[in-house]
Amino acid sequence: MSVFYRNFERHAHGAGLKGHATHYCPGCGHGIAHNFIGEAIEELEIQDRTIAISPVGCSVFLYYYLDVGNTQAAHGRAPAVAIGHKVANPNSIVISYQGDGDLASIGLAEIIQSAQLGIPITVIFVNNAIYGMTGGQLAPTTLMGMKTATSPQGRSRMMGEPLRMAEMIAQMEGPVYVERVALYDNKQRNRAKKAIKKAIQLQKENRGFAFVEVLSECPTHLKMNTAEAQNWVKEQMVPVFPLGVKKDITVEPWFEMQAPDFNPQKLVDQIGAVSDAAPKFAGGQFPAHLHPEDIALKLAGAGGDGAQTAAMLIAQAAVNEGFDGTHIPSYGPESRGGTSYADVHVARSEVLSPAAANPHILIAFNAPSLNKFGPQVKPGGIVLYDSSVVSEPPALDPEVKLYGIPFAQIAVDLGSMLVKNIVALGALQAASKLFPPETFLEAVRRALQHKCAMIPLNEAAFEWGQKAVMHLGDMPE
Amino acid sequence: MLQTRERPKPVVLPAYCKGCGRCVSACPQHCITLGTEINPESGLIPVEIDLEKCNGCGLCFAACPEPYGLTAYDPLMDLDESYLKFPDEDSSTAPVPQEISGETLPLPPVEPLMIKGTYAAAIGALLAGCRHFFGYPITPSTEGAELMAKLLPNLNGVFVQAVSEVATVNMMYGCGGAGMPCMTFTSSPGFSLMLEGVSYMIGAEVPGVFINIMRGGPGLGNIGPEQADIKLACRGLGHGNTHAIVLTPDSPQEMLDLTMLAFELTFKYRNPVVLLGDGYLGQITGKVKLPERMIKPGIPSWGVYGDDMHRRNLICSIQLSEPDLEIHNLHLNEKYQRIIESEQRADCFHCDDADTLIIAANTPARMAKGAVQVLRDRGVKAGLFRPITLWPFPIDILAPLLPKLRQIVIVEASNGQLEDELRLALSHAEIIDVPPISHVRHFGGVLPQQQEIIDRVLETIDTEVTS
Ligand code: SF4
Ligand code: SF4
Ligand code: SF4
Repeated sequence: MSVFYRNFERHAHGAGLKGHATHYCPGCGHGIAHNFIGEAIEELEIQDRTIAISPVGCSVFLYYYLDVGNTQAAHGRAPAVAIGHKVANPNSIVISYQGDGDLASIGLAEIIQSAQLGIPITVIFVNNAIYGMTGGQLAPTTLMGMKTATSPQGRSRMMGEPLRMAEMIAQMEGPVYVERVALYDNKQRNRAKKAIKKAIQLQKENRGFAFVEVLSECPTHLKMNTAEAQNWVKEQMVPVFPLGVKKDITVEPWFEMQAPDFNPQKLVDQIGAVSDAAPKFAGGQFPAHLHPEDIALKLAGAGGDGAQTAAMLIAQAAVNEGFDGTHIPSYGPESRGGTSYADVHVARSEVLSPAAANPHILIAFNAPSLNKFGPQVKPGGIVLYDSSVVSEPPALDPEVKLYGIPFAQIAVDLGSMLVKNIVALGALQAASKLFPPETFLEAVRRALQHKCAMIPLNEAAFEWGQKAVMHLGDMPE
Repeated sequence: MLQTRERPKPVVLPAYCKGCGRCVSACPQHCITLGTEINPESGLIPVEIDLEKCNGCGLCFAACPEPYGLTAYDPLMDLDESYLKFPDEDSSTAPVPQEISGETLPLPPVEPLMIKGTYAAAIGALLAGCRHFFGYPITPSTEGAELMAKLLPNLNGVFVQAVSEVATVNMMYGCGGAGMPCMTFTSSPGFSLMLEGVSYMIGAEVPGVFINIMRGGPGLGNIGPEQADIKLACRGLGHGNTHAIVLTPDSPQEMLDLTMLAFELTFKYRNPVVLLGDGYLGQITGKVKLPERMIKPGIPSWGVYGDDMHRRNLICSIQLSEPDLEIHNLHLNEKYQRIIESEQRADCFHCDDADTLIIAANTPARMAKGAVQVLRDRGVKAGLFRPITLWPFPIDILAPLLPKLRQIVIVEASNGQLEDELRLALSHAEIIDVPPISHVRHFGGVLPQQQEIIDRVLETIDTEVTS
């Protein structure tokens, strides 16, 4: 009995009888299940490590009794709470104690997931075929024809058949041990005690998830005395909920978790932060010829055009030069194949509004993007578009400088359509002088540091993009 | 005479016996019979035991549902005494819980990162000592979860994809209840599903960080950026008397900084903290500087960790007795009051001499900041007041700015949810003399634009001038 509190302080402040008597009705099976858990904890010498999860239902006050770590969970969620505890401290022994409404009705998703996860926790499922705490309503395990407060004519076909949880859990991969036991006589109690101990021992040995369904008596709502209730479980419940081992597989101890790592250098490496600053090439000169403080760019195309990567490289280039840079992609379903556009800002000190409704520079990878965003470009701005796919550019503000560059064609000529965004970046550099070429090339190289083989092709693409702008005069429009 | 055999024989403690008769049918020797006398203390009829034939088989002990119904016979025991007396008054044999303190560790100096908002928040969580993540995928918050899924295993951390948001919040309840820093990323509909669990966490005083990258609603809505859940986070965190600190970053840098702050505050107050971002903020990439130090968490004294030092603890939100639950609520109120007094935060941009104050949070505050700059260039004395905590609303920082104002313009990507918070804060602070309040509002994933904010400000000024 040492696993029980010496005085049930939490039971009405432990006053009078309540300090040593449970809140359960006379003859209720819950107390027996509690005793068996307590004895198992004592015999397995795990009192200090044990966390009992109290459910919602008659056993909501489990935490009054067992002198272990206690957490009281929301209705049905005890297995989720148990998982939270178990991964917080893998050395803890977590016991989820639940009734039939809690586990087999409102908490179905949680019990199924935790059983299938198979992380070693122990679930004790007390099935007495009725809701106790709320006053005798239909439970998912109520027998056919059985009258309850919410099935006053008896459970009918319209209310579905009783749910056999042990069988359901046993057919899953996750659990290692599932048994259904009862409490109605000495033999059954002996089996129940052993099953509960085994289910906890399997957790102690890090072997896996164990589930014991306990057929229990609720004399109060069965409106019977204890002897009648015991007999009812034996005669009526057992045929529907057959007793016995439903699953018992031998699994070597497998559950092991290392202590969390708090090494600062390791964390910095994991998040990809580097200590060497990117070299600067602009000599601190902000491209004020485009705007004195804050330059807005829009890159637009179809998904797969590489607009987002190019946008990211521009923002990165700005930051590498010691300025501020932001990039907002369009996102969501449309980014999975439809249009894809990006708003970029490059600011001397701080990007204020990161949206680029009226950009200074537009890079358009296709005709719809050019038609949509071209007219929004600020007067005096720059528009670069892929002349390999746009034959007729729309008429734009005469003050906008328009560059038709065959991004795609150049990329294909270089051997890979994938680099057309880098061609565009080269063209952007030549047309806008946003930053020196090396600024962009450095950003490209750093982005490709794990794919070094790709660097020469990307450098060539950038260069050809630049050349295409510089020789635009020579090219037939 | 006493037998010398070791096996104990039962003694019934009449007041604790409920007379259920389970032991009667359990005893093969028929030693136990149903009683006839009502016990005056319990009002029940305890059984009677005659140990004459008892062989100490123990079957009656196993049959008794009451932990103290039957007790092992001890020759020294006073059989007339119906209460158990323990030498020591303490109900538990566990030691008094102690805190195992955490540490801050210096971080090697590194270059700023260029990362998106959700990544910045995830990295902030790692720096704050979070190694436990629970979540359910929902756009536009998933990338944060994906980064955690990638990095946590390398740091011996735990990433659990729960069966739902309902399971998520309850896993957090367990992990946070154990005293470990844990978090989730979610978005509006997912946040709605978590609210029951948030109420439990607040009731049981369990820490945990919720990063809600808000999207368009109601219902399935869309995945565009909307400040759709200000009302939920500030006024509707599940049932009951619930409040949590609500943080509203406006940049990837703040996504990191405020996530770190969220972990500090969630443990400081033993209360969940909600960080509200919007879809844009989750996606925007910007420059993010890492802090100089990171956190290695300890185990708080109150945690149900599953070791001897914390065995005495309980995480629980049920208080059956009405006076007890009232006392608990008064305790929560006292905590909320401390938060209101100490945790108001706001960023003021050109507020000192402003006569036109724009109030905005999250991404709309960025648009508003751009607008303020343009207005200043045109000679309008505009300023931006940007709440960084929406609950508590930073009214103490706002109040001194009010007397100089000719107008307030609230800019938000929601149907007045931010304005409601402002008006409530003004009302509770009994500030009656308030300048005219107008607003720029968009919803459904449409964000207020810089130009319309400028237009609204100028429009009001023009009206004033003409009238
Ligand atoms: S109502 Fe039923 S299950 Fe609940 S305590 Fe009473 S007998 Fe037990
Ligand atoms: S110990 Fe055995 S014989 Fe003795 S009273 Fe109990 S059940 Fe009967
Ligand atoms: S089983 Fe326990 S509670 Fe029931 S009659 Fe026997 S001693 Fe009393």
